[in-house]
Amino acid sequence: MQLDWLVQPLLTQLNTGVLVLDAAHNIVYFNQFIARRADIQLSDVSGRLVYDIFADAPKAWLQRKIDGVLALQSPAFSSWEQRQYIIKLPHLRPVSSGSQHMAQNCSMLPFKAPNSAEQFVCLLIEDATDAYVYQQQLQHSMAQLELANRTDGLTGVFNRRHWQHELGQEIQRAKRYQHPLSLLLFDLDKFKQLNDQYGHQGGDAVLIELSGIIAALLRDTDVLGRYGGEEFGVILPETDMAGALLVANRICAAAGHQMLFNGHYINATVSIGVSSFSGQTIDELIQQSDIALYNAKRQGRNQAVAWQQQPETYLKKVK
Amino acid sequence: MTELRFTEEQRDCLQELINVAMGLASDKLARYLNTFVHLQVPAIRLVDTEQLPEHFASRYEQQSVTMISLGFFGDQGLRGETIMLYQLANVDVIAKLLGYSNDDSSEAEMLTDISSVLTTTFLNGLAEQLENSFSYAAPRILSSRDQHFADKLASTAEQWQLALQVDIRYQLTDYSFNCDMILLIPGEAMMRLRLILDQFLASF
Repeated sequence: MQLDWLVQPLLTQLNTGVLVLDAAHNIVYFNQFIARRADIQLSDVSGRLVYDIFADAPKAWLQRKIDGVLALQSPAFSSWEQRQYIIKLPHLRPVSSGSQHMAQNCSMLPFKAPNSAEQFVCLLIEDATDAYVYQQQLQHSMAQLELANRTDGLTGVFNRRHWQHELGQEIQRAKRYQHPLSLLLFDLDKFKQLNDQYGHQGGDAVLIELSGIIAALLRDTDVLGRYGGEEFGVILPETDMAGALLVANRICAAAGHQMLFNGHYINATVSIGVSSFSGQTIDELIQQSDIALYNAKRQGRNQAVAWQQQPETYLKKVK
Repeated sequence: MTELRFTEEQRDCLQELINVAMGLASDKLARYLNTFVHLQVPAIRLVDTEQLPEHFASRYEQQSVTMISLGFFGDQGLRGETIMLYQLANVDVIAKLLGYSNDDSSEAEMLTDISSVLTTTFLNGLAEQLENSFSYAAPRILSSRDQHFADKLASTAEQWQLALQVDIRYQLTDYSFNCDMILLIPGEAMMRLRLILDQFLASF
């Protein structure tokens, strides 16, 4: 059976772009897939350099690839995952996709004319926009999941697990580069009383507002996290004890403002314990801030206290 | 599994065919890369697929490794998968080798490019020796910057019956790099390969 008649309609109907170049990278042939999407006619551009017709194509890279196919007589590939597209073409999902251009998988195959030894390269271009779009959605979901995994649901600051991980990293960095690092642990004063008086929603509102006020006081490199119920921590990289006390006092002053909840003015204050890194482990550093925080509470609340080496007996009493 | 093993003669024959294929490949590569490429005669070992992950885990120890797979199909049921393993410390050398500048290609693209160049050039030569021809699937990265690549190698290798380990070492005038290539061949294709090798042996 003679099947030659099949080739033309097949190439026309094929849902893959077929673009054939000669050894000098001039356009020899392309099928309807390319003609319609690029809005060009073969008769107009036949014999022209492919880079002149597709001016947006990555010329240097594509030249190297095609020369490789010709020299080695072996195929080359390009995946949308590494290079979204080779030639800019529209795709058929303009609404559902965030990208204007067709994501492409491309195979570049060597051909030799049967009678002459003339060499050609055939570029097969497949539309991978669907995969591209799914990948984008997946990455977006992953990013959201990762964010949720790091964030405290109520206040939007980092959760304890992530905050503590960050502290570990900062300690490593401070140790390696001999840079200062300080740690604040603070606690809302008389939070239980506040909850009893205004209900848990009142307590929650205070936590949310307080997180916002404090976050606004910090530098981009400082790390605020919710350590437990009404306890928060702030990692202050590149900050010594004097600098950390300044920040702590600023937080005390800012938190002291009245907050409006359901028509009531709530008076919330915080107590802060401050410690600085000098070779301690992460647990020791947290413990020192914690002890300083207890001392701030003992000394009348609404204040920042720096950690100091205490006599053994006093430590036991505090605990 | 014993029926899938090669005889001594078959293995020598395969080694010889691979040597020739590698020779063809290095000649082409040297011309393509436009530099003096010295390709050492590859060391070839038939390996139990079960032992592969362990072997490469100890070979690369704690280094970051990128693993790239490329599938191939030939006539008469000959098919398989090649896996290339690269140490990431070599990426700059590979970029230079391909003449890439840092800004126009990603690391992933450079590695898939060099992989397809190395494997298809070699496999085309091998196909020629076997009087066959191969078509290829696009290379894909199985794992990157991964110290646990051995686990992924294990899950890939367990689907195959035969593994052929080919050490490729490229030495150029100013720098050198080496990478590993593993040729994985399924049981049916291996039977076919044995028949072809027997025909070869009979014709000498």
